[in-house]
Amino acid sequence: MSAPASLMATFDGLASRVDAMGFRTIGFTSALLGEGVSTLALGTALSLAAMRRGSVLLVDANWIHPSLTRDARLESSVGLAELLADRADAAACIRRYAPSRVAFLPLGDGMGARPTLRGLASFVAKEAVSFETVIVDLPPVLAGETFVLPWAALVDQLFVVLREGATPLPLIQQALGKLSLAAPPYIVLNRARGSSVDVPAALLAARA
Amino acid sequence: MRPYLTTAHRYRWLLGAVLAIIWGAGIVAAYTEYATTFESEATIWVLRASPELATTSPDDPNATVIQTAASQQADLLNQLLQTKEFLRDVVRQTSLRAALAAAPDETKFLAGVQKSFRVQTHGNNLLTVSFAAHDPPLGPEMVNAILAVRADRVAQASTTFTTITNTLYQKQLQVAQAQALDAQRALDEFDASHPGALSDIEQHLKDQLRLTLDYAQIRLGDLRGRINQAALAPAILSVSGMEFQVVDQPQVETSPRGGTRSAAMIGAVAIAAGCALAALLVVIGTLLPAHVSGPADVSRLAPARLFAAVPRVTRAGGGASPGDLRTSLAAIAFADGGARNGEVSG
Repeated sequence: MSAPASLMATFDGLASRVDAMGFRTIGFTSALLGEGVSTLALGTALSLAAMRRGSVLLVDANWIHPSLTRDARLESSVGLAELLADRADAAACIRRYAPSRVAFLPLGDGMGARPTLRGLASFVAKEAVSFETVIVDLPPVLAGETFVLPWAALVDQLFVVLREGATPLPLIQQALGKLSLAAPPYIVLNRARGSSVDVPAALLAARA
Repeated sequence: MRPYLTTAHRYRWLLGAVLAIIWGAGIVAAYTEYATTFESEATIWVLRASPELATTSPDDPNATVIQTAASQQADLLNQLLQTKEFLRDVVRQTSLRAALAAAPDETKFLAGVQKSFRVQTHGNNLLTVSFAAHDPPLGPEMVNAILAVRADRVAQASTTFTTITNTLYQKQLQVAQAQALDAQRALDEFDASHPGALSDIEQHLKDQLRLTLDYAQIRLGDLRGRINQAALAPAILSVSGMEFQVVDQPQVETSPRGGTRSAAMIGAVAIAAGCALAALLVVIGTLLPAHVSGPADVSRLAPARLFAAVPRVTRAGGGASPGDLRTSLAAIAFADGGARNGEVSG
């Protein structure tokens, strides 16, 4: 197994479940910063791109800590903020990377516009519809509730990431309470010491 | 209250183990203390000395004060037990003298001996002196030793005071004798100078001189009586031994005795310590932020459910640390293979 394949294999379990569930648009958030949300979104995007053989759009919607935009060195580029403010079109904002089959929408100028349910709904319906999978990197719920809730209403599934043995339970419960969605979010346990999840059982439970 | 009860329920096996260990150890220690303690006791009948035989110093331990005879002697013994010198003398008369000589901390050793002694009064004239030890023969040995050392101390104090009193009386006697001689000489001289009939004034003077002589002789006799009493009283008391009689001699106990109190104390401390530690564990367990320690713990977040667990990436297993992982993923994902905005390639 090559090094990239080995790295992406870390996220194969998560990606295969997403694939099995048929989720097209998913969002990753957490209770606190530093839980590994952006890394999970990036890894899952890569893994799904390889798995589905289709285009995957990775959206940096983290208004508080746009680390993916920095990773892509697109801090000064137009992005989601400009797209929502109608100051740029999707073609100018979305970067496509052929080797990885991942398209990336950076945050852009975060001070320019705030995400609204209508704006995001329009984006999902028009711009993101051409992608087989859309993965959204969101800020922590407790720090950026207003940036998370509009996405939570639009994505097929929202995932709350927490670090095993690190994230304080009361804060996770507080974050879940703020989300208060009709369908409860799924938990992704990051940096688990041993993967003890029974995959078939988990899939059956998820579908139930 | 509910979070504490939840924590207690969650850690019930740990709390049970902690309580079992501490309480079990306490019960074992208490039983051992009870079963290996042998208290030996002497019963003593005390009487107050006759006022005629009592010494007059307020500092004398045998001096009469407003106390019962038993409490007076018990206080005396308890006061003596406060001093290291007395305890040292007691221990030196017993088989513990080698242990005392070898003890690295003499003060601690003597404090342990002091705690093992108990002096109690039972009514006005009865008191008991007891010593609790793990070695049965040591009890009577220590009780006999404390009584002997006390007797020595009392006798020594009495002798010292008698000597001082005697010296004082001797000085007073010398003065009184000189005064009596002077009075006799003055009377003789008056008689020699007035051979004939005496006038009223002269007779009055002679009566005064005679009165002075009588007074001096009475004082002389009184002082001689006091000197005799001071010399004889301690001897009489010592010989009679009535004021401090050991009615029941201390015996070597063959069955455990006297350890109930210390055993109960050990048991109570163990129970209290166990409860306190358990309470502390519950409080800490409640106040410290709980974590999700594994996939099974996610059930505590219901109705949210576990979707997946992403394994920890380690250098040994995955060849990269979390920081390296992110950098590597970004490099893979954002490798610019000639792609342009808005164009799908590959």
